[in-house]
Amino acid sequence: MTSKYPGPRVRISRDRNLAWWRRILPVMASHRATFLLAIGLSFLSLVFQTLVPNMLNGAIDHDLVRHSTALHSDVVRILIVGLLAGVSGIVSRQYVFRTAYNVEADLRSLIYEHLTWLSFGFYDRVQSGQLISRANSDIRSVQMYSTFAPLILVQCCIGVLAFGFMLSISPLLACIAMTVMPILYFVGIRMRRVMFPISWITQARLADVATIVDENVNGVRVVKSFAQEEAEVNRLADAAERVAWAYVKDAQIRGKWSPWVQNLPQLGLALVLFFGGWMVIDGHLGIGAILAFNAYLLMLQAPFMMLGQLVMMGQRARASAERIFEILDETPEIMERPGAYDLADVRGSIDFDHVRFSYSDDAEILHDFDAHIEPGESVAIVGRTGSGKSTVARLVTRFYDVDDGVIRIDGHDVRDVTLPSLRDHVGVVLDEPFLFSISIHDNIAYGRPDASPEQVEAAARAANAHEFIERLPEGYGTVVGERGYTLSGGQRQRIAIARTLLVNPPILILDDATSSVDVHVEAGIYEALNRLLAQRTTIVIAHRISTIALASRVLLLDEGRVVASGTHEQLLASTPLYAEVLAQSTKPEED
Amino acid sequence: MAWGGGWSGGGAMFGSSQVAGLPFGGIPSELMDEATKLLAHEPDHPPSDLTFTQRPSERERQRLTLARLIGAYPKWVVSGSVLVIVTSLILQAGPLLTEYAINHGMVAGHRSLGVVAACGIGYLVLALASALLQRVQVDVTGMLASRVMHDLRIRVFTHFQRLSLDFFTDEKAGVLMSRMTSDIENLQQLIQDGISQFAAQGLTMIVITAVLFWLNATLAAWTVLLVVPLLFVISIWFHRASEKGYLLSRDRIANVLADLSESLYGIRVVTANNRQRRNIRNHRHVVGAYRDANLYTGRVNSIYGPATIMIGILGQGLLLGIGGDMVLKGHLSLGALVAFFLYLNRFFGPIQLLVQQYNALQQGRSSIIRLRELLEVPPTVDEVEGATELATIEGRISFEDVSFGYDDEHLVLRHINLEIASGESVAFVGPTGAGKSTMAKLANRFYDPTSGRVLLDGVDIRTVTLRSLRSQLGVVPQEAFLFAGSIRSNLSFGRPHITGAEIEEAIDVVGLRDLVDRLPQGIDTVVHERGQTLSAGERQLLALARAFLARPRVLILDEATSSLDLQSETTIERALDRLLEGRSAILIAHRLTTAQRADRIVVIDRGGVVEMGTPGELLAAGGAYAAMFDAWLASGGRDSTRPDDEQTD
Repeated sequence: MTSKYPGPRVRISRDRNLAWWRRILPVMASHRATFLLAIGLSFLSLVFQTLVPNMLNGAIDHDLVRHSTALHSDVVRILIVGLLAGVSGIVSRQYVFRTAYNVEADLRSLIYEHLTWLSFGFYDRVQSGQLISRANSDIRSVQMYSTFAPLILVQCCIGVLAFGFMLSISPLLACIAMTVMPILYFVGIRMRRVMFPISWITQARLADVATIVDENVNGVRVVKSFAQEEAEVNRLADAAERVAWAYVKDAQIRGKWSPWVQNLPQLGLALVLFFGGWMVIDGHLGIGAILAFNAYLLMLQAPFMMLGQLVMMGQRARASAERIFEILDETPEIMERPGAYDLADVRGSIDFDHVRFSYSDDAEILHDFDAHIEPGESVAIVGRTGSGKSTVARLVTRFYDVDDGVIRIDGHDVRDVTLPSLRDHVGVVLDEPFLFSISIHDNIAYGRPDASPEQVEAAARAANAHEFIERLPEGYGTVVGERGYTLSGGQRQRIAIARTLLVNPPILILDDATSSVDVHVEAGIYEALNRLLAQRTTIVIAHRISTIALASRVLLLDEGRVVASGTHEQLLASTPLYAEVLAQSTKPEED
Repeated sequence: MAWGGGWSGGGAMFGSSQVAGLPFGGIPSELMDEATKLLAHEPDHPPSDLTFTQRPSERERQRLTLARLIGAYPKWVVSGSVLVIVTSLILQAGPLLTEYAINHGMVAGHRSLGVVAACGIGYLVLALASALLQRVQVDVTGMLASRVMHDLRIRVFTHFQRLSLDFFTDEKAGVLMSRMTSDIENLQQLIQDGISQFAAQGLTMIVITAVLFWLNATLAAWTVLLVVPLLFVISIWFHRASEKGYLLSRDRIANVLADLSESLYGIRVVTANNRQRRNIRNHRHVVGAYRDANLYTGRVNSIYGPATIMIGILGQGLLLGIGGDMVLKGHLSLGALVAFFLYLNRFFGPIQLLVQQYNALQQGRSSIIRLRELLEVPPTVDEVEGATELATIEGRISFEDVSFGYDDEHLVLRHINLEIASGESVAFVGPTGAGKSTMAKLANRFYDPTSGRVLLDGVDIRTVTLRSLRSQLGVVPQEAFLFAGSIRSNLSFGRPHITGAEIEEAIDVVGLRDLVDRLPQGIDTVVHERGQTLSAGERQLLALARAFLARPRVLILDEATSSLDLQSETTIERALDRLLEGRSAILIAHRLTTAQRADRIVVIDRGGVVEMGTPGELLAAGGAYAAMFDAWLASGGRDSTRPDDEQTD
């Protein structure tokens, strides 16, 4: 049953002025073969179905009332049409579902791919939980609609066919029977207008509940430490109350409209009985026609009821599509310039040329940051909290772009080179050591998936992680987070360091990368690093003097600019501020 | 169209109080008017005033069943059921009226416009009546569903609060989330539409069968015999196959979401390692597997639907053959045959709807089972029957022969005996994995010792309520967790009704003044989930201030200073004096700077106490601590030779 999934062939339309379904259309169109087959066959199947009431009408009037034809030949014909309707129906639905699920898979892949390329600025703004919920239910509702809407429209075509049969039996009765349908249509329109906002409000409130749960689960330690379970339960209860109101409102609005949608066809049947009966009495109509009209109206009821459902699905789908577009319309802030070239044979000089930077709307973090780092040099960046140290690390790899000024590697503006080549040459160990729920081996080999076990082990040794990994129940095969094998912050940091070391970048940035590691372990790591760093440009952002001591030069950062540069000793001697920053740690007030 | 409107504004009003102003908080602007109109009629919901007790009440301990859930609202259940029954009956009167109109108003010899008119008007009235009744029914079931789900949400969430820390592993976070969201939403659908639909359609089938037998037993027997066994067989096949497919695609969508969620949370690492293309390929595999599972379900569904339609048409053909023969032989009236056809049409609709609803029922049932299983998980750390309130403590902590292991095989702590006097600060030092943090987790009962006892002021902490225990202990964990919300709301987390002055004081004490002054909205600045607004150090300082504001009797800093930079650490060191004033404290530290401040140092290694004494004593003794301190000095360079360290020598 497994067939290979090749991934999406097209993207959605970039034109934001198009209606939502037209933006999705290219995805649908890329499956047009199966889709058209599905539509064609289901049309055929429905035609066979519509034939049946007319055949029954004829059979009753000719065979049973007037005894003019033989019963058995009509029976045989109906049986054959039934078989054809069934077979074509089965085949058509196969294709319907195939289209539907391929479209869904395409949308899922498109969103994932798009998210993958978005910049850090985006992730600073949005909550991942909300993205996941979109990727789940919103895709579902768009896919449902975009696939089933055309099918329901096919059913409506059948409605036209059925109406044609009714006209051929009795134009007058057909018109009377159809009077309810326009009303049905207007009720549907009105319903669309009132249902849409409430379904939106409901979804927004459900998302609030999800956020509370998510925070509660992730912050469980804090909740328990502060014994705030009761406050949390009440916080949830308030949110749940708002959801409950939205659901009640939703039901009230639906209750006001949907019974009419469902019962208007019954009114049509009543009209058929009354007027049709009258016409039978007057001899203008056979009794079989009553049966056929009944059947046709019931047949019409399905598409019209589905039209109501379609209206609701459409509301959901549109809301969902809008939220999906919000993601897909988000352009990566960090993009390669046209003509970007690969960074190669990096020697490792880094220039910060009058760099200015701020995170979105926040205050400027770096004002006129200016520094030059020689190939092979190791530099420590020291400064107070909020002085912009970590920001420097994030700019070199273009996780963010500078607002003004230039950063150059070997004289190349980082914005002129391709992103993969840049990030391949600049390795960053981030202050938050995120590990994936894959084996430790795979985590270390994350940037070099083809690395051999020996290479992985060597990196782990350099990061002083080999020993504790060996002690884990399944060594390098231990899956992070599984069966409660949780790692301490220091252990995670060491794996994160090994991960970067394995890539072996000519420029290495350690952003507070050993803050949770034991002091003696840290010493071991730096001993190993000292060997590795010999040929490598290194930027160390650190709080500990032990770490700072590793660097051959120190940049003192204050208020977003370099205020002093030199060896540790020079700065101690020359710059009171450096002494002050360090002194604050070396001289906690006397007891 | 202004999709962009969704990026800002409007959040608070639609319920996103804690994510107000964040992206995705808004509503598309073209819907704003209608939505605002709706919300204008929303009453003010009084703030919830629920009490939380660690031990569940009698009612909460009852087994979770659908019947019990909806049974809490008997009035609505009864009126909902009556409405469903009445509307189903009314809806089936149509064909009978048609039969009567044909036999007594249309066939030769019985022509009567009066009968036809009466039947037609009767039909009309019944259709109107059923519309009105349905309206009430939708209201009632909507009300029922939303109240029941409101109860269930609170019940499940309350249970989360009772569960112990060991339950909240990373892998379970997603599971817990889907219990509170998709499972409960499944049930919402089920109660609102599913059950009433199911009942209505089932009832319809029974009514129709009865009427058919009343009209003509022989033909009814034929009809039922020809159609029902076939439908029965194909339905059983369908149920089995679709259940299999449903389980398969549920597992696979879970993989899709897990892959997505990890990629999002780890996006920074993904980007830094250039893994985008590889991850995209991998995601395609996962999505492809999910699609294949869906295709299987699709195949099953595509056979069932048309097959039932086919059986319907074949049934009509045979009915024509058999019933037509009976009419020709005069054994059946023409009106009755027409009624048979009409009912046969109506017989299949409900069957298909029943099958449609079957999936919803299936999902609802497994949701109930999953929720029940979750609700039946007992907390591993629980209050004993009749636990007492722990009175305000002095802060004496005793570990009496405490051993502990996270699993049965490996003990992390072995026979620990330790006494911490009230007001004393004790630093736990030792290598990673030695069991330092575990000691802290035992003190506030995140875990219970495998053997031995932990006492506070001489009271075994297992005999007191968790709330009275934990509200007197303040813990600052290694990784500061902040809730989405303002700095103010985060700081007042432990004591929601705290005054502004106290918050300002705490900000000064931990040295956050600079940060707060720097932020555009100061103390009301919203901190994001993983946003970069705050550095790790700043988050940690906030966590400290939060603990400070909770005024605990005992303070536990679990490597709380590890991610601080030099300056923040200095600030903290200074603040510690204020924080520790009159309190006992357990300081778990990698950095010996922090340890040196403590009244006493306890060196823990391999689950046991190796050494214990004042910093001066231990350095003088030249044992394990002195060796660690030397290593610390060596690695920290000469600058770490701190003046106060020397003083202690």
